[in-house]
Amino acid sequence: MGDQERGKLGVHSYAAELQERLKRGEPGNLVVRDPGPLFQNKIADEIFNLCRANSLWPMTFGLACCAIEMMSLGMARFDISRFGSEVFRPSPRQSDLMIVAGTVNKKMASAVMTLYDQMPSPKWVIAMGNCAISGGPFAVEENYNVIEGVDKLIPVDVYVPGCPPRPEGLLEGILKLQEKISGVRHPFPQRKMSDAPSY
Amino acid sequence: MPAPHVLDFVYVIVVLAGGVIAGFAPFVISDIFRPRTVNKKTMLTYECGMDPYGSAWDIRFGAAYYLYALIFLAFDVDILYLFPVAAAYDRVPGMQGVLELFLFVGILTMAIAYIWVKGVFTWAIKREEN
Repeated sequence: MGDQERGKLGVHSYAAELQERLKRGEPGNLVVRDPGPLFQNKIADEIFNLCRANSLWPMTFGLACCAIEMMSLGMARFDISRFGSEVFRPSPRQSDLMIVAGTVNKKMASAVMTLYDQMPSPKWVIAMGNCAISGGPFAVEENYNVIEGVDKLIPVDVYVPGCPPRPEGLLEGILKLQEKISGVRHPFPQRKMSDAPSY
Repeated sequence: MPAPHVLDFVYVIVVLAGGVIAGFAPFVISDIFRPRTVNKKTMLTYECGMDPYGSAWDIRFGAAYYLYALIFLAFDVDILYLFPVAAAYDRVPGMQGVLELFLFVGILTMAIAYIWVKGVFTWAIKREEN
């Protein structure tokens, strides 16, 4: 039975949509249906946003070498769990943060778009590294299959530049995202880099 | 005032109800407050970014695996028959118990030898050559 339907495997069902988005240069409106929450309240939203910001669950999703830095961030030395987002989820259904860590090429782009669709809202995206931001070293005339910026496919909240960015860079990106979600920077008492003691 | 043992049951029921509420409240609360945005592929079954094809009922399973099921059953029954041995082990003199145990397991092991000789463990791939 699978053999008979193997022909369907040739082209991803998002291939045409991908071309359209690339032509537009922006993702456009991705929402098909939005009935809104059953009950909305300003105070409740603030509380929930505070909770969301402090327990971001990223997706286990590395596309290229930037993912190595992302893994390093998850390990003991940089320890993303200090900021509540160490729970890398293997399924988009359980995650609310997509860290696009690396080069998005045209073959992978449909999968990225599908995975973004499958994350439950509210969801956020961090474009990590120059490739995900703008194509990086691939943004040349001869480039034929690298998407020059993942923000042409899906909406991006925070850009973390670098090739690859250091884990501290991604950490700062996550802190910025927390700031964006909840309006305040966490964790609460935080010194600026200039105030940090020098050794 | 009810009898004390009835009161104990009331405590149990109250704690049970608290447990059930604590279990289901997060679901209910998050269902009330969550944004219900749906994208084009949000409701897709498969979660790896690829397009699913075919139906889940179309999976073909190698019929040869039934042999493994039978072998598993044989070993399983072996173990099952050892439970009475373990229960009665202290009622017989030491060496006799050990010997009878090994005799019994040895006879059972012959079944495996039989299967082995019959060639069940060799995996013959039967594929039509085109």
